[in-house]
Amino acid sequence: MKMTTATVRHIEHMELPPRISEFRRFLRVFLSRKVVIFGSIIILALLLIAIFAPLIAPHNPTQQNLWETLQESSGKHLFGTDHLGRDVLSRIIYGSRISLAVGIVSVGIAGCFGMFLGLLAGYFGGIVDTVIMRCIDALLAIPPLVLALAIGAALGGGLGSVMISLGIALLPTYARLIRGQVLSVKQTDYIMAARVVGCSDLRIIMMHVFPNCLPPIIVLVTLNLGFAILAEAGLSFLGLGIAPPAAAWGAMVNDGYKYLLTNPILSFAPGLCIFLVVLAFNLVGDGLRDALDPRLRGTI
Amino acid sequence: MVQMLEVRNLRTQFKVDNGIVQAVDGVSYHIDHGEIVGIVGESGCGKSVTQLSLLQLISSPPGKIMGGEALFEGVDLLKFKSDSEQMRKIRGGNIGIIFQEPMTSLNPVLTIGQQIVESVMLHLKMDSAAARKHAVEQLKLVGITDAEQRIDNYPHQFSGGMRQRAMIAMAMACRPKLLIADEPTTALDVTTQAQILELLKDTVKHFDTSLLIVTHNLGVVARYAQRIYVMYAGRVVESGTSNDIFANPRHPYTIGLLKAVPRLDEPKGHKLVPINGLPPSLINRPPMCAFLLRCSYRTEKCYQEPWPELKVVDGQHCVSCYVDLPAKKLGSGGNVTILQLMNTAGMKDPSAELSDIVASTVSQKDQLTNSTYQSSEEILLEAKNLKMYFSGTKGFFKHEAAQIKAVDDVSFKVRKGETLGLVGESGCGKTTVARCILQLYSPTGGGIHFEGRNILGQPKRGLRNMRRRVQLIFQDPYSSLDPRQTAGSIIGEPLKVHKMVASKQEYSHRVAELFEMVGLDPSMEDRVPHEFSGGQRQRIGIARALATNPSLIVCDEPISALDVSIQAQIINLLEELQEKLGLTYLFIAHDLSVVRHISDRVAVMYLGRIVEITDWKSLYENPLHPYTKALLSAVPIPDPFVEEKRERIILRGEVPSLLNRPTGCCFHPRCSEAIEDCSSIVPTLKNVGGGHEVACIKM
Ligand SMILES: Nc1ncnc2c1ncn2[C@@H]1O[C@H](COP(=O)(O)OP(=O)(O)O)[C@@H](O)[C@H]1O
Ligand code: SF4
Ligand code: SF4
Ligand SMILES: [Mg+2]
Repeated sequence: MKMTTATVRHIEHMELPPRISEFRRFLRVFLSRKVVIFGSIIILALLLIAIFAPLIAPHNPTQQNLWETLQESSGKHLFGTDHLGRDVLSRIIYGSRISLAVGIVSVGIAGCFGMFLGLLAGYFGGIVDTVIMRCIDALLAIPPLVLALAIGAALGGGLGSVMISLGIALLPTYARLIRGQVLSVKQTDYIMAARVVGCSDLRIIMMHVFPNCLPPIIVLVTLNLGFAILAEAGLSFLGLGIAPPAAAWGAMVNDGYKYLLTNPILSFAPGLCIFLVVLAFNLVGDGLRDALDPRLRGTI
Repeated sequence: MVQMLEVRNLRTQFKVDNGIVQAVDGVSYHIDHGEIVGIVGESGCGKSVTQLSLLQLISSPPGKIMGGEALFEGVDLLKFKSDSEQMRKIRGGNIGIIFQEPMTSLNPVLTIGQQIVESVMLHLKMDSAAARKHAVEQLKLVGITDAEQRIDNYPHQFSGGMRQRAMIAMAMACRPKLLIADEPTTALDVTTQAQILELLKDTVKHFDTSLLIVTHNLGVVARYAQRIYVMYAGRVVESGTSNDIFANPRHPYTIGLLKAVPRLDEPKGHKLVPINGLPPSLINRPPMCAFLLRCSYRTEKCYQEPWPELKVVDGQHCVSCYVDLPAKKLGSGGNVTILQLMNTAGMKDPSAELSDIVASTVSQKDQLTNSTYQSSEEILLEAKNLKMYFSGTKGFFKHEAAQIKAVDDVSFKVRKGETLGLVGESGCGKTTVARCILQLYSPTGGGIHFEGRNILGQPKRGLRNMRRRVQLIFQDPYSSLDPRQTAGSIIGEPLKVHKMVASKQEYSHRVAELFEMVGLDPSMEDRVPHEFSGGQRQRIGIARALATNPSLIVCDEPISALDVSIQAQIINLLEELQEKLGLTYLFIAHDLSVVRHISDRVAVMYLGRIVEITDWKSLYENPLHPYTKALLSAVPIPDPFVEEKRERIILRGEVPSLLNRPTGCCFHPRCSEAIEDCSSIVPTLKNVGGGHEVACIKM
């Protein structure tokens, strides 16, 4: 008896939801939650503010005015002024440029190199693993801020060196995390299936291992962004970051700290911005993870 | 008369994101004193939820019992609160429960003894010393040797079969009036399954307990149950005595199930009749008969009317179907000839009369395949003294290095175009052999010759070439497909890797062709594995294996993770493909009926060695090795008549650990025919005539 393939297909097909294009499905899942849209809007707004800072800022962010120091918020200075009489709102607007850049670039460096090393170590194992992970463990033994300081000092000051040193300081966690993921993904049948099919190592890593290791990384990225923005302040405070008159959120939180009781807005306003960035990336990260999650396909 | 348990119109549902799962939809059944009743159905049909509901073990939310009664000795259990005094007294006290996976239902941080003692003290009000004594007795009763010592072991120190024994001991310790066993043997090997089922039957008989066996395996209930309920999509669709169900099934689903499973006693070459389609989703199910889309007897009425009620057709036999299928003898129904054929275990020397019967029942196709296979002598694959040792640790502090000889001196040949079946219980080294052949492991010793060339230790290019010629189908259709790739790119990957297509058009054309070949709709290529059912996923796995036009496909338990009604679809697909493409299969399985159905020759493995290898006919009709005989006799046959007459060899003990392989013939501690020399002389495979090779010193 011939198997009635046609009937089988007919019936099985009915069980499946109608087909939509890959990109539309991605968008649909991604935008299906309001908080994700909210996060995306915040990120978009912050990026626009950073790009168009000179057009938006009401005052010159570095212009001191010793007659108008530590003012309360008013029509002229919406968030008041700092101890040197500079307009806080304008400094926040300009500060977004440096803070966002430091956050995104340093986490980007940490993510790329960390994941690269973790993938190599986890996938190839043996001596490659031992060498890479020994170095990573050594780095992990030092608190990230201290490590960043040491590297920053070695590289000399400046924005670039802050990004690189923070990137290196954050890298070990990425390497560790992804190595663990690789080790478990490597055990699965589908990796074995890829080998049976004849895939090269490079192909297996790029097509099968890496995409399946990604989800926890997304969470780590959102957590690290806030850390990097704050850490930049620490480095700058010790003279390794950007030169004083330039505005950055972390440094503003630090400076305002002294006036916490009298002028809390000096710390709160930039602090709120950092919080917003972390929150927004966190929400978008969640949405991204869900949209990429194959298990949620067809359900939303 | 008040029944021991009477469930009436039980309805349970689960709230999920996208609707309501009507898991149990008006189920009624009863069990009398001392009765053994079976509930049969595929996974997800609501068997377990029914049992959990009456014991009020449903987690709520998302679950909710919507209505019905569960009368235990006339008292409605559903009237009690889930955590009330009365319910706690019932659970574990009056009703004992055994679950499928003994590892998860035993607490890993308490010893076996502590767990039995705890429930005995609670229900029988004994003091701890008496309870412990009672527990030891219970363990002895279920056949655990050294019960005094083993009682202080933790669950992980027990093997799967022993854990299930311990579970039985625990469930019986409080002398329940009813024992509910939910898939008690599904996680176990066939010989252990036979042991456990016998034990269950003897135990309930001993204590005059009623037994409810929940299972998806028709064979399991055929031997033991007096009455059977067949469930489908949350309802009972047919019920009756074991005889009614097996000899005279009236519901299309029951008929389908019986035709879809290969049997040890069917004529070879008989094509399985699969149940088309998939089990329905229980979410927001339409009101019609749930079997409608898969039913080949459906009529206009089935589309228009709601799901038919369960109606008595004769005596105790009830069916829920609009079409009154005439009673027809489907099982052997006392058919003497097949009965005689069946007594596989005792079939050493078939008389002339029997061979006549054999000849007459064997179909034409079978004779055809038999002759073609004998003429094709070209050897495609040969394993020569294959050895694969892993390093392990032994001893209390785990510092003593030990060798795990997973595969030890295995030799066999696979001829072009044939199917060699490789059977054995779990852990005997079947998968290791497969992985050695595919060079996923590098064997410790021996050689693998493919098309006449030794393929071990060859350079990378040779390996890539071999990857095209030899492919693998995996057991688990869920974990063997990359969850983040679409079906199309999974199937197309081999084409890209081996640069087997010149252009984009050719690629899409070939991918579509592969989809068609395995019975999938090419328009589903954009979907990810998660969106497919188990059977469909296995089809994707098969298409991937076919992509490079291999000549040999190693199938590693390709159907054992699938539902019964889907297994036949996949077996038929594999057979069709073999015929069409001239494939050679190495078919690995633990299900002897399936192997018999599909194989031309069969090799039986035990503890890393092949103990018997021959053509299917000699193996199944004239098994020579004591282990093969025991294996065959342990396979349940879905036919109560056959089962009644069948003699059973129940193996003692369990498969030893590879770390402590017995000396001499490694089967000797369990062998019923062992003689003194067996513990010192290692038997090798000897040809006893006609290519029938056996490794036993008595041959
Ligand atoms: N906690 C739960 N949440 C949602 N659905 C469930 C839950 N538990 C069981 N189900 C559903 O109930 C149905 C019956 O399951 P079950 O009784 O375990 O089947 P069986 O025992 O026949 O294998 C299935 O469709 C299953 O998905
Ligand atoms: S009621 Fe109709 S569709 Fe349902 S099983 Fe009977 S014949 Fe088939
Ligand atoms: S060699 Fe001895 S122990 Fe082994 S199977 Fe034969 S009779 Fe049994
Ligand atoms: Mg179940």
